[in-house]
Amino acid sequence: MAMASVKPSIRQFSACLGCVRRTASGNGAPRRLLSSSAAAREELQTHHPTPPPPPPPAAATSAPMKDEASSKRTPEYMQKWGDLDPNLVEWKRDERRLVRREGVQPVGSRRRRAVLRRSTMRQTEQIPFEQLPYQCFQEARKFLLEDRQEKLTEIETQTLRIKNLMAQDPAVSGGALAKEARLRSMRNHLHGLIILADINDPVVKKKFEDGQGDMNKPIYRYLADQKWRKYKRLVLEQRISQLNIVPDLLPALDPIADADLAFGRKKVSPGEFVDSAISEKMPRLSVQTFEQGEKLVTVVVVDADVPVPDKDSFTYRCHFIASNVPISPSQTSIPLQRIDQEDKKTENEAARKIAVPWLPPWAHKGAPYHRLAVFVLEQSEAKALDVLDIKKTKRNSFILRSFVDSHKLKPIGVALFRTKWDESMAGVMERAGLKDQVDVEFKRKRVEPLPYKRRTERMR
Amino acid sequence: MTRRNPRTTAKSQALQLPTHQPKPQLTPPTSLKMNLSSIRPAFRPVTSRIAQLSNNALQRSFAPTTRRTIRPTPATTTTTRSPFSTTARLLKRNRSAKNATDPRITAIRYHLTHPLTPRPLHFSRTRALRHWTIHRAWLLFLRKRRRAEELELERQYNSMRAACEHLRLLDNNGNRVSEAEAGGQGPDAGRLGVRGREVGRLYRAAMLKRGVWGSVPVEYARVQTDFPGREGWNHAWTRS
Repeated sequence: MAMASVKPSIRQFSACLGCVRRTASGNGAPRRLLSSSAAAREELQTHHPTPPPPPPPAAATSAPMKDEASSKRTPEYMQKWGDLDPNLVEWKRDERRLVRREGVQPVGSRRRRAVLRRSTMRQTEQIPFEQLPYQCFQEARKFLLEDRQEKLTEIETQTLRIKNLMAQDPAVSGGALAKEARLRSMRNHLHGLIILADINDPVVKKKFEDGQGDMNKPIYRYLADQKWRKYKRLVLEQRISQLNIVPDLLPALDPIADADLAFGRKKVSPGEFVDSAISEKMPRLSVQTFEQGEKLVTVVVVDADVPVPDKDSFTYRCHFIASNVPISPSQTSIPLQRIDQEDKKTENEAARKIAVPWLPPWAHKGAPYHRLAVFVLEQSEAKALDVLDIKKTKRNSFILRSFVDSHKLKPIGVALFRTKWDESMAGVMERAGLKDQVDVEFKRKRVEPLPYKRRTERMR
Repeated sequence: MTRRNPRTTAKSQALQLPTHQPKPQLTPPTSLKMNLSSIRPAFRPVTSRIAQLSNNALQRSFAPTTRRTIRPTPATTTTTRSPFSTTARLLKRNRSAKNATDPRITAIRYHLTHPLTPRPLHFSRTRALRHWTIHRAWLLFLRKRRRAEELELERQYNSMRAACEHLRLLDNNGNRVSEAEAGGQGPDAGRLGVRGREVGRLYRAAMLKRGVWGSVPVEYARVQTDFPGREGWNHAWTRS
């Protein structure tokens, strides 16, 4: 029995995972996977009584065309298989056909799919999750809802208090500084109350786990921040200290935004070695901030290990600078390639974003590995920087500290990768116009042994 | 016979071997025999002594119905009869209904097949969420109850404190006096004010700690600390 149950899943995975389409999220927004759980579709058990979620209206116009195109491509025998819904596929054979024809993995367990299919066939009404008839659960919900009401009234009074304090004369409240401090602490308390009002809601938890949380709401931002700090940020911190990014490039670094780096489809974990052929094109950054509001950021890529053989030391090199890139909690993606294309279209040079174009990371043969850091620097008060001014920045011996200081930037996120000489490096360097550097090879200097350590004939 | 030739002895022993003398047969209780044979795998070759014993027992049980003319030696019994069937299987075929559900067999089988650790608790998605909801509600309930208890204690303390304060500012005629005239400020409750003993008499009586700890004065009941206080000894202190 065990073998029989294992077999189909292996069969499913034999289809290339990259080729298999992922179903989009219910709200039509690009789905950012906050959690790895594939339970985004469990939603339908509670919220949508009919299992297949209706496609978003924007995609509705293009959908029939796509269907026609796909039906042209699919052979006739495949069309005979009929309608295959990834939520309702029950049999092994149908699962196989679904993966083969639609390129979509079936959703959830077979048992669950079977239950859903039966219930839709019988037209049974789905009970929403909150109304499930379990006594203890309902009592707990009642208690939590009462608490939420209390919190809401507290929030109201706190907002009223803050409003009153803001209207108050600073002389009455003991000076402008004291008033500011008081207001800050009151706002912090208010923020805590807003989080506490929603933190016990199972539906909120569920939505967050499904990656459907609305990042414009504080509770989801809070949950995402907690999750990030629990694992990803720890790894990043470790890599920052291991690769000595902090004393070498910046005096201090406290990442408050989750920055993911990917070259095309290849995701780069912090500090990973990236093949030079892969890193030839500009990466794709996705920066998740956990603070409210839009920010303008500057993205800087620095190489921290450019060897200087004359001085027997290293220097820095700037590989890329893009300024005035808008990000917000719901707008996380920084597609540098698209920004580059848009820049090429814009006539006005001051309106462009990329100040220093991408130079593919390169390393000499035999040189130690190069650490490359992608910094996301927040511009102060979301003010735009002068790109023409930044354009004057020289690539070689670029000092990030002085750059950050002179432009009043604040580092909020960082992504790291490493590069070293590999087979494709020569081609990459040639295409980047560094043909004279291709043949340069670093070799260890032969150290003459001291006279008394010299091996003589007698010793042999 | 005292001086034996070792060679001849060896030879005589070697000659003795084929002539197998029948051993005294041990007959274990039937239930034990059944037990051991039933949990044994089906195709184990019969080599052990227990198998022989049970085989002999089988012979005995079959004896009335099919009596054989040639009685085989015990060593060759199984091979001659049926090469592939073992005792366990034969026994199983001829098992009576009584022995089929022996609780001891059941227990042995149970403990052989079940590991000590129970299987992990797996909840479905909604079940886990319900569990989480209940758990959060319970934690919130505990927190609220604790908070309520703390508040109640605080209220009681404040109430007692207000009452004592009232007594301290009360003179003999039941009038309230000002703070300047009253005594009892600071840690020493017996301190007298400007108007002497006539103010706060009830307060001083209430603050008396006589008999609270039995014969030991309550001042000895202070909390033990690692280091002495900043002022080591209060020399001015007297028992009012």
